[in-house]
Amino acid sequence: MKTPFKRSLKVFAALLVILFFGLGTSDGGRVRQNKRIGRISRRPARDLRVERPVVRRRTPRYASDRVLVRFRPRVHRSYAEGLLRSYGFPSVRRIPAIGVYSVRTAPGVSVTETLAMLRRNADVEQARPDYRTRLADIPNDQYFAMFQYNLRNPGGILDLGDDIQLQAKANADIKASAAWDAVKGDPEVVIAVCDTGVDMTHPDLAAKIVSAGHDFANDDDDATDDHWHGTHVAGIAAADTDNSTGIAGVAWKCRILPVKVTDATGDGYYSWVIDGIIWATDEGADVINISLGGDFDDPFLEDACKYAHDHGVVVVASAGNDTAYINYPAAYDSYVLAVAATDYSDEVADFSSFGPEVDVAAPGVYILGPAPQWYVGIGDPPYLFGSGTSMAAPHVSGMAALIMSLKPELKPAEVMKVIRYTADDVNRAAYPGRDDHAGYGRINMQRALVPYILK
Amino acid sequence: MRKRSGRAERLFVLGVVFALAAGEARAAEAKVKTLAAGLSYDYFSRTVVWKGDTASSKILANMVSARADFGLGKDLVFSLSAGLSLTDFKGLSFGSLPISLQFDGAPLKGLALGAEVAAPFMKFGDFEISATGRVVLSFGMSKTWPLEGFAVEGEAQGRPNWMEISVGPRFAYLLFGRVVPYVEVSARWLRAVFRMTEILDELDGVEKKQVNGDISFGVSLGADATVSDRLAVKAKAGIMPFAGGVDGLISFGLLYRF
Repeated sequence: MKTPFKRSLKVFAALLVILFFGLGTSDGGRVRQNKRIGRISRRPARDLRVERPVVRRRTPRYASDRVLVRFRPRVHRSYAEGLLRSYGFPSVRRIPAIGVYSVRTAPGVSVTETLAMLRRNADVEQARPDYRTRLADIPNDQYFAMFQYNLRNPGGILDLGDDIQLQAKANADIKASAAWDAVKGDPEVVIAVCDTGVDMTHPDLAAKIVSAGHDFANDDDDATDDHWHGTHVAGIAAADTDNSTGIAGVAWKCRILPVKVTDATGDGYYSWVIDGIIWATDEGADVINISLGGDFDDPFLEDACKYAHDHGVVVVASAGNDTAYINYPAAYDSYVLAVAATDYSDEVADFSSFGPEVDVAAPGVYILGPAPQWYVGIGDPPYLFGSGTSMAAPHVSGMAALIMSLKPELKPAEVMKVIRYTADDVNRAAYPGRDDHAGYGRINMQRALVPYILK
Repeated sequence: MRKRSGRAERLFVLGVVFALAAGEARAAEAKVKTLAAGLSYDYFSRTVVWKGDTASSKILANMVSARADFGLGKDLVFSLSAGLSLTDFKGLSFGSLPISLQFDGAPLKGLALGAEVAAPFMKFGDFEISATGRVVLSFGMSKTWPLEGFAVEGEAQGRPNWMEISVGPRFAYLLFGRVVPYVEVSARWLRAVFRMTEILDELDGVEKKQVNGDISFGVSLGADATVSDRLAVKAKAGIMPFAGGVDGLISFGLLYRF
């Protein structure tokens, strides 16, 4: 009895070794050795082994050897620290200001096990993983940190020179840098700027221009800016970003289609705007920014906006700077997003027009944007600060372009709703909920573009 | 991601159907000879790439089931189980919804149903080789999350379902008497569907995430132990290696023989 048993045991052990080392690796050939499962497993096994290495694995969401703990208020500090020592944690560091301990987990004990152990203790108020952080994407553009409060507002004094010093409120911005982590824009997504034209040689715009555009004021194929307004608006929406030059645009990588619909004085006619909207739509624009408007309702202008909307274009227009009724085409509620202006403290600008058609607000006071060199004068940097709902609208256009880059399957009406519903109700103290001044609120790109975490 | 041939998947399903059908046929021939009932706990982790995703994420499933083993003669055992599943989908994101959602919540409950067959077909010396097949289905219960911080009220509603089919040979060593250790090699086919609905006032969207037939190969060590004439314990632990990591499985059951 003894000998066969020992022999069997050896055979069993040998079989174990063969099976483990033969099949426990990623070698598909080994799998084929077992004829019984070979026919079933051969091809899928090979597919899997090729496929998985190319997959980017998610980085851990928290430190693998550290947790954060807070004790209940009644627990004395010395007792708490003694308790933590008794768990055998190699190091314990107290963060005095908030009474939290950063604790290194015991060797061989996972974060999950450590948290479970701590949470079982009635003296522990909260035990949490030490979640990872990452730098939000900050572009290296020269003026971004200093002047572009509209994109990222650290608060404090905003010194614009010429004795203009403004007290900015931290986070009174559109949360652009957090959103850029999720999307920087698709170069195929085009923002048409129906305005005074665009300076296509500007160092912050030249690389972003789709074509020379069209000039409906002079009826030619050169939409070069002979004012400054269109260049400024185009730059706010989609200036060349992270190029160590000038400013950052809202839509880093999206491109600009210049459409000139005013003359050199900045005035135009509805017919030019109508032509511009239809031309931009037919040229394949995804977003049309209209930082201008008129006082009169006009069915033809509305039809042009409907044409664009029905062809998958998001139309964004400035509400107006008259502290009065909303301009047209901004007032065409079904087809156009009407944008009011807020300032560096998230207050609605005193010039911003209001009415039930206002959808959202965006920063529109002292906004830095590009300007033609000839306009600012030789020797000065080709940028200027501008104020108005004209400056607010391109923030929304840039945001719409980013949404369309990330979710190309969304229809214009859905993009408009995303922009509205994700806004911050900045004037809720005076007008809670949607109101006629800021609409749904100041746009929040982070809320629209960064995934919402389901807890 | 390369498109995988559906042939292997069909073979799996056919294999399991065949094994179950064989069990049924033999059951018809031989009446139920032994009956055991009890509780079982199962756990598995699977690293998968959901259709349309570029990053992998894990599915961690825990199941507690009531289980009945029917001995049908000639050592053929057919088992049925029903119970509760808790499945963790941490890291799964729904990027096609109007507002992208990322799942980071507690495991989701579901109803787990399973069927298993083990049919010995070869004995040599002190060893026995069986063919095993198993199907487990989890029908997830719907869960609703409020979407907070938006300008309008909203909610998301999710419901996950999954099915795992495994087939493979089991090599058992019979000479330890009351304890029968074994090594099991299995090919495991997984299909999972997670449907998420998002509603924010007049804005809504539905996204269905799918894993269509992810296949892994695993090897497990297990043992069936007879504690007494009435009580039996079954335990199994295994690994499913893949390039860059290892998934795992654990199974434990306590059965009372009638």
